[in-house]
Amino acid sequence: MTSARIHGIVLCGVGGQGVLSLAQIVLEALRRSGFHALQSEIHGMSQRGGSVHAMVCFAEVPLSSPIIDEGCADLLIALEPLEALRYVAMLKMNGHLVVSEEPQSDMEGYPPLEQVYGALKAVRGCHLVDTEDLARRLSHKQAGGMALLGMASKFLPVADGIWREVITQRFEAKGQRVIEKNIEAFEAGQGLVQATVGV
Amino acid sequence: MAQTSLALGVEAVGCAAFDAGIKGAFGYPGTPSTEGFEYVEAMIHAEPAGRVAQWAANEKVAYDLALGMSYAGHRSLVTMKHVGLNVAMDAYANSALTGVRGGLVLLVADDPGMHSSQNEQDSRRLAKFAWLPVLEPSTVQECYDFTWRAFELSESLQVPVMIRVVTRLAHCRGLMARRDVLTPTGLGVAPQDTIQDWVLIPSNARRRYLDLLAKLPLMAQQVAPLNRLIPGTSRRGVALAGMGRAYFEQLSLEYPELLSLPRLEIAAYPMEPSLEKDLLAQVDEIFVFEEAYPVLEERLTFLRGNVAIHGKLDGALPRTGELTPRLLKEALGLKTAEAKAASDLQLPLRAPRLCEGCGHTDAFEALREALKNVGATDARVFGDIGCYTLAAQEPMNAIHAVVEMGASISMAAGAALAGQSPSVAVIGDSTFGHSGMPALLTAAASGANVTVLILDNRVVGMTGQQPSMALDQVERMVLGLGIPEAQLQVLTPLPRQHEANVQALEAALRHPGPSVLVFRRECIQSLRRGVLRDHDRELKACTALAACQESHS
Repeated sequence: MTSARIHGIVLCGVGGQGVLSLAQIVLEALRRSGFHALQSEIHGMSQRGGSVHAMVCFAEVPLSSPIIDEGCADLLIALEPLEALRYVAMLKMNGHLVVSEEPQSDMEGYPPLEQVYGALKAVRGCHLVDTEDLARRLSHKQAGGMALLGMASKFLPVADGIWREVITQRFEAKGQRVIEKNIEAFEAGQGLVQATVGV
Repeated sequence: MAQTSLALGVEAVGCAAFDAGIKGAFGYPGTPSTEGFEYVEAMIHAEPAGRVAQWAANEKVAYDLALGMSYAGHRSLVTMKHVGLNVAMDAYANSALTGVRGGLVLLVADDPGMHSSQNEQDSRRLAKFAWLPVLEPSTVQECYDFTWRAFELSESLQVPVMIRVVTRLAHCRGLMARRDVLTPTGLGVAPQDTIQDWVLIPSNARRRYLDLLAKLPLMAQQVAPLNRLIPGTSRRGVALAGMGRAYFEQLSLEYPELLSLPRLEIAAYPMEPSLEKDLLAQVDEIFVFEEAYPVLEERLTFLRGNVAIHGKLDGALPRTGELTPRLLKEALGLKTAEAKAASDLQLPLRAPRLCEGCGHTDAFEALREALKNVGATDARVFGDIGCYTLAAQEPMNAIHAVVEMGASISMAAGAALAGQSPSVAVIGDSTFGHSGMPALLTAAASGANVTVLILDNRVVGMTGQQPSMALDQVERMVLGLGIPEAQLQVLTPLPRQHEANVQALEAALRHPGPSVLVFRRECIQSLRRGVLRDHDRELKACTALAACQESHS
């Protein structure tokens, strides 16, 4: 029997970081895994360096609402630590957060970083990722998003082969090298799961 | 088998228009409608076969292009955001009287919650105002299916048909199953014996208005299959439209008890009150969930008798802003999920702002200094709609009024005529082409003492760097509108040009009459994406060729 359970993912970050692009990869991967899936995104003014978020819902039954209510998300993928804090209340009590440690602090009133990390570490199920270090090790400046996705993939019912297919398709126009770099970043993120989360 | 793919709601409208055999798509960019045009534009570029996709200088022009194509017998699509329909209203309202030949579908994207807009007006009201049908989908697939239906209705009723979506659906990405593609064939130009229908002189218009009103029952009858009443056992009922319908449907998966509520699902107008009366007859109270204005709610309130109607008017739902699943749950008294505790750390807002290295920043810095130098530090600057509107925020505070497309120049002229000096307007190149031109024509004719800054970034920046109709011709436009050559200066907004720009601005501010400064530097986003690369290469080659021919003649 198919279950009517509805799963939710929130993705967030700062305009220009690739939040929407990441959300589209997640959506396509879930669709290829046989789920009914919907994504909500907001364009326009928010693209100019403001806060950006997208939501993805999926289930075994057809869905009609692309947005998730507070307390209903299973997973939060955050490309920026302060942005992550805005969406904590979207998560179920047992939900997980996969958060980049790398701040985009070029704004008025950004709190001291240790306070931001402190607030995140106080949330159960939060996994902070040193994307800056990872990008350096992979010599790939934009590795962060894909590495977070790799880590988050631990919590999503999508087979490795499908992730690879979708990432390949996403970067097809940019050539083999870019595809390989992104898959490498994704796998590095998957590796971190064993190393730091231990779930 | 039907071809399926993922698409945004507005993209599904564009795709369906292509599949339904349009000859052309027209529009003016505006969030959240833009991607609808861009999707069909990409399809047309990939497979033209005589089809065209053309951005227009403004929404009214776009609408008239579509109406002309309809007159010539072909199906056409026109896209815009909700406030864009205000600009196109003259064309839209009067096309109700002329009627259409080829099917004409208007996609309007409303923005409740004002994610990217200056108001949250409800386009269903404007359809009613024009006595025209409007369909309101609630899923991506319905966006596709309703657009097909809209073309069929448009041709069968011989009126334009509106598809109304809201931001959440416009930018909802989901599965879309397509039908077989029709090739644009056309019905032939409007026949001789209908010519008078298209000539809206009073004698014809009086007749056509009666014709339009006489069509209303037929409109209601033909759209009626899209509305339905699903019976239930409860004495509480719901009336649903658009995202209200989508949210309620999904909530019934999580809260199966909701299936006992009789529910009225409305997706098309105009409608007879029969379904509403049937619902009212079987319940004691009704919750109305619809996006933006209380359109259904007012109708039900008018018909209610002893039934209590809950919604935006009685405070069960907020009067403004976006509908959300949470608001439905609260209104219906459903148990909400336990959530993780939000952090008690104060989270400062991260507002959008001008990009690093944007030319607009340099223009505003020059303006601030020039105003200081002429002793007008508290001058009020009239702004317009575009990226540069962001300069109204802290810390720049460079703009002190933003109302609607093109308002900057005429408001500055009005203030100047009231004696304000200096009186400054700031407008982008695309907004200038959209509706700034008639304003500058008027300002020049009035001799008002205005200083107009045209921030020319060569594209429609904010909505994703679409082509600006004013590309490479802003100076000629300005001169043609009556600004003397001596009062037109073209400047480059770069830090190293700062002193020169300040001086030019001071001279303009001191000049006792209209003057224009064009600050031209390409949008750095479009530069990065190479949007104008081919255009500029061609332009350079042409200029070189012309110079070469001249030197040989």
